[in-house]
Amino acid sequence: MLRKLALGGIRSRFRDYAVLFSGLVIASAVFYMFMALATNTEFLKGNSPIGITPIIFGFGEVLLVIITMVYIVYANTFLMSMRQRDYAMFMMLGAKSRKIAQLIFVETVSVGLLASVVGTGLGIGLTVMAGRILIQMLHAPATHFAPFWLPALLATFGFFILMFVIAAAFNAAKLLKTPMLQLLHADTTPNRIKQKGWVLLIQAIAAIVLLAIGYIAMTMLGKVGVPAIGLALITIVAGTYFLFNALLIWLISLLKRNHRFAAQGLHTFTLSQLSFRIRDYTKILAVVAMLFALALGAITVGLGFQNEIPKMASKQTAYDVVTIAPDATVSRQAAKLVDVTQKRTYTQKRDARFIYFDQGELSAHPLLFEAFQGDGEWARVKVDGHNWARYAADIDSQLIQFRLPADQDRGFKVVSAAAFAKLGGPSRQVVTYQVADFGRNYETIEAMVTAQNKRYQITSADMSGQKLTVYTLINSLYGGLAFMGFFLGIAFLAMLASTLMFKILSGASYDATRYLMLQKIGVRKRALRRSIRQEIGALFFFPGLLGVIHVLFGLQMFTTLLQGAYDHLALPFGLFLVLYLVYYGLTVWLYETIVIKKDIATD
Amino acid sequence: MQNQPVVSVHDITKTYGKANEKQYQALKGVTFDVHQGEFVGIMGASGSGKTTLLNILSTLDRPTSGTVAIDGQDVTALKGDRLSDFRAKQVGFIFQDFNLLENLTARENIALPMALQNVSHKRQQDAVDKIARTLGIDGVLDHYPTELSGGQKQRVAAARALVQEPAILFGDEPTGALDSQSARELLNTMRELNQAQGVSILLVTHDPFSASYAQRILFIKDGQIGSELVHGDQSQADFYQEILNTLGTFQN
Repeated sequence: MLRKLALGGIRSRFRDYAVLFSGLVIASAVFYMFMALATNTEFLKGNSPIGITPIIFGFGEVLLVIITMVYIVYANTFLMSMRQRDYAMFMMLGAKSRKIAQLIFVETVSVGLLASVVGTGLGIGLTVMAGRILIQMLHAPATHFAPFWLPALLATFGFFILMFVIAAAFNAAKLLKTPMLQLLHADTTPNRIKQKGWVLLIQAIAAIVLLAIGYIAMTMLGKVGVPAIGLALITIVAGTYFLFNALLIWLISLLKRNHRFAAQGLHTFTLSQLSFRIRDYTKILAVVAMLFALALGAITVGLGFQNEIPKMASKQTAYDVVTIAPDATVSRQAAKLVDVTQKRTYTQKRDARFIYFDQGELSAHPLLFEAFQGDGEWARVKVDGHNWARYAADIDSQLIQFRLPADQDRGFKVVSAAAFAKLGGPSRQVVTYQVADFGRNYETIEAMVTAQNKRYQITSADMSGQKLTVYTLINSLYGGLAFMGFFLGIAFLAMLASTLMFKILSGASYDATRYLMLQKIGVRKRALRRSIRQEIGALFFFPGLLGVIHVLFGLQMFTTLLQGAYDHLALPFGLFLVLYLVYYGLTVWLYETIVIKKDIATD
Repeated sequence: MQNQPVVSVHDITKTYGKANEKQYQALKGVTFDVHQGEFVGIMGASGSGKTTLLNILSTLDRPTSGTVAIDGQDVTALKGDRLSDFRAKQVGFIFQDFNLLENLTARENIALPMALQNVSHKRQQDAVDKIARTLGIDGVLDHYPTELSGGQKQRVAAARALVQEPAILFGDEPTGALDSQSARELLNTMRELNQAQGVSILLVTHDPFSASYAQRILFIKDGQIGSELVHGDQSQADFYQEILNTLGTFQN
């Protein structure tokens, strides 16, 4: 009978349960995805050139646990708000408290268990998919990456079950303490602002001070070391929470007191909805801001590492690929290169001691090399017969790409066009390519170099001198970090989406009555839509804004690792913004379909 | 006094269900007028069609056939924004369950219809204060609905309905959720509004006591108007007795 009652409750509010359940599934899937990296120490060590990566992941774990905890606690409050009326009714019909407690326990734990089973399944699927796509996209080695990772599975299960058992016990205790009448009339919640002004002020100041400490701690990572991350973690989480709790409430009451603004149209209603919400939502908004920062930060840093690879590779050699006397196979591959920015053909002649370049060709198109400029600085220089001697020592290793193993004992010499013409001996064409995007041409270049190496029996990297070799080497160092960045970015983005949507939709059925009332007293649909857009817009905007600020300061932690930590921000920020906007549109649309009634004779 | 009726209902029917499904006719041709300054009651048992009728009158639903004119305007032809604006300006509602927005204070609730028309803050507040004094709720304007008693909530709802000075006030069992004392007070206020301020009122109820406040009562049964009672010069107690007698015979 009890089981029937419990299941009956689920059936009667299917949509709410669907929202709740899908939210929890995403949460456990993301938890698993993170744990699949975090608990795989082999992977972390194998893919990160820096020793503190496992420690960073440790802090990440703490943060994710906090976030997931807030999420689960919120989900349980939602679950209880759906069920408490029913429970009260059972009690009214004579069910014993012990039975009710048992019912709550069974229901809560089974929701948690089911969500974590489905969630880890989804998590494994997402890990496989994201892993495969990213490894292919980034050419990342990602050694020891295992989508199915038992410790992660156990950690996810353990954490979720534990959380739900605690939540169930807490729910049951709380419900049994609340008077029955209050449970029956739980829908009408009083809404008086209870916080005093000075409390808000202290919170606002605390928020700004805490955030400042956190931001400074992140810039001092180089000096203070690992404790700085811990300090930043605590202060930023707390600061974010206080900021939403104090500053936004203050901002809303300020707007509300501005009569010229508030007295217009639905503004008062929208503001009241928001203050109603923000009070109720502070924790969730703080979580959303943190998730936003984590997702955006992870993607930005991932992209930063990704950008670093070609940049560093280009410091070793100017040419993306060089072919010597290309045969049909190599030429065919070369034709496939996309966005070739420069292609030069040089003629070489050889005798017993030297390989000769034609000064006539070089003065038209000097060779490009990276040369030492003193002070650890390297710069790209144009080299021809006139300055050859000056740079000879610097460019020696880069010249390897212009000769074959057979030429090992030959030096290089640049001679005038006339002298070059007179030279006998075999001549061959050397073609140099520069492309706009090495990563995009990776497969083609790899095919060209492999074919050429095979043909000339070039067996080691030392003998080829091609950029591909350097690129692969750097990629093995940084590609893993880029992989982690993107992978976690996707995971946090999924969680961000589910958290916001869950929070907004879980209140929707309750809001529907309010919007129906407004429609009945003659509010135009357009005005209702605008109000909804503004309200949800604020819920998206403020965490987003704070998240962006977090990321801008957070990038300070990576300035020692990435030369251009703040370069190319437009791409990840732009991409993220577009995703966020699409998601905003989707939420507004979903919300509107739930709360705005189509046919109260209006059309 | 104008000759044009405030509400003019002509031969409306309402059929639920699609053409090829099982149909149910809730209204079977209802015709009546409410004149300027009248207080009309509509009585009927559950399922008699009175809620359907009120929904159609208040533009929340559309008749299958027939016309409804409010203040000379055919409301069945209105759509979209014009319909919303009509609702906001020409009709006032009070519902059994108050329909107040619990996240707004009483003052904000009452001012809402005016805010929608972008009336200036000053004029909104003046109008709110005026109507609040009339309804005796000027002391609780800054409270939230959850902090008010049922009677106070219904007065706030009435104030919100009247603040725009609509052509007609519709009441859907406004005393249904009130205790007898509050109900009596609200009805007295409504009668005063009707007599002193000339507010036209149409009240739907199944409670004979509430109905006895009306000048004229239409009895609806099975989707049709069965009979009509006029208050005339008799005392309220006599009229109440007459209603009870009519109900006694009417239900059979």
